[in-house]
Amino acid sequence: MKVEEIKETKEIYSYWDLSAMKWRIESEGLRLLMEGFKEKKVLGRQCHKCGTVYVPGPTYCRKCHIDIYRIVEVKNEGTIGAFTVNLADIRGNPLEEISIVVCVKLDGSDSWLMGRLEGWSDWKEIRSGMRVKVEWSDKPKGALSDLLNFKLIK
Amino acid sequence: MRRNVAIISVGYNGRFVSKRPDISIVEMLEQAVRNAISKTKLKPHEIDAFVVGNMHTFEGVNMGNLWASEHILALNKPVMRIATGGTTGMSVFHCAYYHVASGLYDVVCAIGWEKHDEGDAQIGLGGILLPEVFSLAHFGPDLTGKRGGGLGLMGGGGGSTGGASFQAASYLAKSGGGIEHIDMAAALMRANAAKNPYAHLQVPNCKPEDIAKTPIISWPLRYGHTCPTSCGACAVILVAEEKVKKFADTDKVAWVKGVACGTSDATIGNVHDGQITDPADQEICKIVARRAYKKAGIRNPKKEIQVAEVYDGFAHQVLMWPEKLLLVDEGASPKLIEQGYYNLDGELPVNPSGGVTSTNAIGASALVRVAEAALQIMGMAEGGHQVDKKIKNAVAHGWGGLFQFVTVTVLGDTPVKK
Amino acid sequence: MKRRVAIVGYKLMKNTRASEWTRERIYYELSKSLLEELEIKREDIDTFIFASNDFADGRTISEVYLVQRMGAYMRDESKVEQEALNACLYAWLRIQSGEYDTAMVGMASLSSSQFKPLLVQNHELDPVYERPRGLINFYSGAAFQARAYMERFKNFTESHIARYAEKGYRNALKNQYSLQIIPPSIEKIENSDPIYLPIRELEVAPYADGGGVVILASAEKAKKLTKKPVWIEGVGSAQDTYWIGERDLVKLDGLREAARRAYRMAGIKNPKKEISFAEVQTFFASEEPVIAEALGLFEEGSGAEVIEKGLSEIDGKIPVNPSGGSFGGNPMGGTSLIGLINAVKQLREEADDFQVKKAKRALVHSQDGVCAQHNTVMILSAGGKK
Repeated sequence: MKVEEIKETKEIYSYWDLSAMKWRIESEGLRLLMEGFKEKKVLGRQCHKCGTVYVPGPTYCRKCHIDIYRIVEVKNEGTIGAFTVNLADIRGNPLEEISIVVCVKLDGSDSWLMGRLEGWSDWKEIRSGMRVKVEWSDKPKGALSDLLNFKLIK
Repeated sequence: MRRNVAIISVGYNGRFVSKRPDISIVEMLEQAVRNAISKTKLKPHEIDAFVVGNMHTFEGVNMGNLWASEHILALNKPVMRIATGGTTGMSVFHCAYYHVASGLYDVVCAIGWEKHDEGDAQIGLGGILLPEVFSLAHFGPDLTGKRGGGLGLMGGGGGSTGGASFQAASYLAKSGGGIEHIDMAAALMRANAAKNPYAHLQVPNCKPEDIAKTPIISWPLRYGHTCPTSCGACAVILVAEEKVKKFADTDKVAWVKGVACGTSDATIGNVHDGQITDPADQEICKIVARRAYKKAGIRNPKKEIQVAEVYDGFAHQVLMWPEKLLLVDEGASPKLIEQGYYNLDGELPVNPSGGVTSTNAIGASALVRVAEAALQIMGMAEGGHQVDKKIKNAVAHGWGGLFQFVTVTVLGDTPVKK
Repeated sequence: MKRRVAIVGYKLMKNTRASEWTRERIYYELSKSLLEELEIKREDIDTFIFASNDFADGRTISEVYLVQRMGAYMRDESKVEQEALNACLYAWLRIQSGEYDTAMVGMASLSSSQFKPLLVQNHELDPVYERPRGLINFYSGAAFQARAYMERFKNFTESHIARYAEKGYRNALKNQYSLQIIPPSIEKIENSDPIYLPIRELEVAPYADGGGVVILASAEKAKKLTKKPVWIEGVGSAQDTYWIGERDLVKLDGLREAARRAYRMAGIKNPKKEISFAEVQTFFASEEPVIAEALGLFEEGSGAEVIEKGLSEIDGKIPVNPSGGSFGGNPMGGTSLIGLINAVKQLREEADDFQVKKAKRALVHSQDGVCAQHNTVMILSAGGKK
């Protein structure tokens, strides 16, 4: 019988969930980052073969496929690589507060860090290539929240 | 020695829509496969092997191919299952191509499908980074990026449209285009889709002004730039060169001239390893495209490719991918779309089917790109979206994952000479 | 077959109950050490094929962070969502086409420490009829199959199932890479808690965390990379019907079809004489006689005789699962790759304590779905100096 010939169909309601998981991730890069945050430093790892600096820094280089261990500190200032302005939610309803999320390449690093942008007045003036500076929390305790945001340098 | 492979027929289960409460997944697959076979001289038992693919976390049915044995006519036949994120459909196609090119099978059916109404797309999409999001909570409570910490956004990919808006912003900065160009691209897609009876979001004569009325979600992406979630299935039948005359019901078949795929690293939300790749660079796409063109014997893609079907999950990708596929110069798309270069009647029609911006059944979308490119070559695109010139070569493209997987297929109206 | 393809190298991680390494680390360490052993770089591998299942890994597109770990950064890569042997099959097809010369296939599954496998397997059932009814699951399906076998061949009893399980544990103890469970006695297995009779708790293969990587190469490359290539002589795969009631669970038509295709390609007319040993994938001890007979290795209905006379022991007529099979640990989704690697070890005479003497041709098998609905069979043969 072809599907087109079926006269009556029935809808069945059901549910499914994948809640039985315990995840683990490779956390070497994040651990190093948190260590550095305690002293208001951004730490990453550099490959001794190709020189790429990764932040957060894994213990292997994906280009050279070797273990890497050299810890480097990158500067607290950097350039905006890409940014986006959150104006509405996924359905199109305008948000109460406009926020800007930036991907920043801190000086000395080859990788982008994502964070919130502060210190701006008109979102239409933001451009890739503008300079920003890390704003730290007063009492850093070695958590992601120590890096409050990236502040626009005027 | 190379074995040439041809696409002899393309089948859909019907128009792609947001909900299909009247059929189950396997019935949808059956419709697509029967539709594909009806356009050939094949009898149902004459298909040698099947390759099936979809993103199963969107429906909650693991291994849907196991359920569908009889429905897709695969009883006691080899079935392989592929899933690579957004580019699942084309990875399925490549696997089917290798089934035939290896010499082991002569007739293979590639099926890509998705039934979004049986699951929650947001959960499925969130699932890509769920472990990272939860573990970031361990490293300092900060998942929304509100006052009190910035870096948790890494896990969520930032913004509510996620990494795509970064890609769009970076692309606009590099090419000098503006949000108005993305509006033009989206309008072109919706207008093309209106001439494709199988597309989901059809807006006849859509204009950029119509798109510009929709609110901006995450600059520069508007509500009107994003793809819908569709339900549907697509089946493509591939046949080896020696058997084309026997099984094809048409003189014009689409020959597979070159396939290539590749991956770079996760370019958004790369919380473990650091994100060293700008999502708008897409170096991997250029590498993969060069490899596919070489296999296809195409030396100058700018001149030799007549139509392109690119995977534009978001409208700015209509501008970006033709550049990365080496069909136009880097950064040239904003000017070209103003001139109508990518229109249906333009120099290089891009996505005459309306693209993914108009129809997105994730598991099927990349396969639909190949199917539509094949239909253009065979001259069988329905509803008015057949490009009105002789198509000698077409390129189909797909991307997936966190902007890292890329697949490219080059089709032509004659096989590559051995 | 246009080109001869060989397996030139492998690296296996020991099965554990709770792996120290994450999946990302497993892929990196195994692929790196294998590339170093063969003295090649990741750029020398033409394509990478992953075998992983999104549901089993608990995340959508589960290979997003794995690709760069295995060395596929800016390289050709794809992913197969079935049992890992199918990923090997895809790699084989790619090399056969002539466009590739080398391929790396990998799997890592944390079935024991990361998730509850039964929940994942439950989602393989269709949501419209079987899942809501809740009567069929992996265990009850196997129980149906065991009961059907016992009804058809009256000399096969519950105690024979226990004997197959005991053989599995006993062989696994000799395999350094298995879970190394102390083999319980036949009486203990026979009296363990019933799950779905006649299946009992100790007759279910224990889940484990495991990982493995192999490299395949075409004949020209294989000769340069290793002195002991293992040739892939034949492949076959087939998918049977989904509905349990429409299949003969003892005859397993789908598996016979897959085996027939593989034997024909390898030129094998009489498997009983031409196969030296087999690594089959079983989740339950009761599946072993059914699968072995459907593959043509033993006479139909000889399940009781085979285990009583020791015909499938390591020193028997045709050893079945000399490595212990899944009783050495079952990392769901990847067990068949471990079976393949153990078969390769045998043919290269690197199997130490569980070495089969004079191993020339091996059969490797994988199954997907309830009661072996989809099967893939590969025939391997030893190359190099003997």
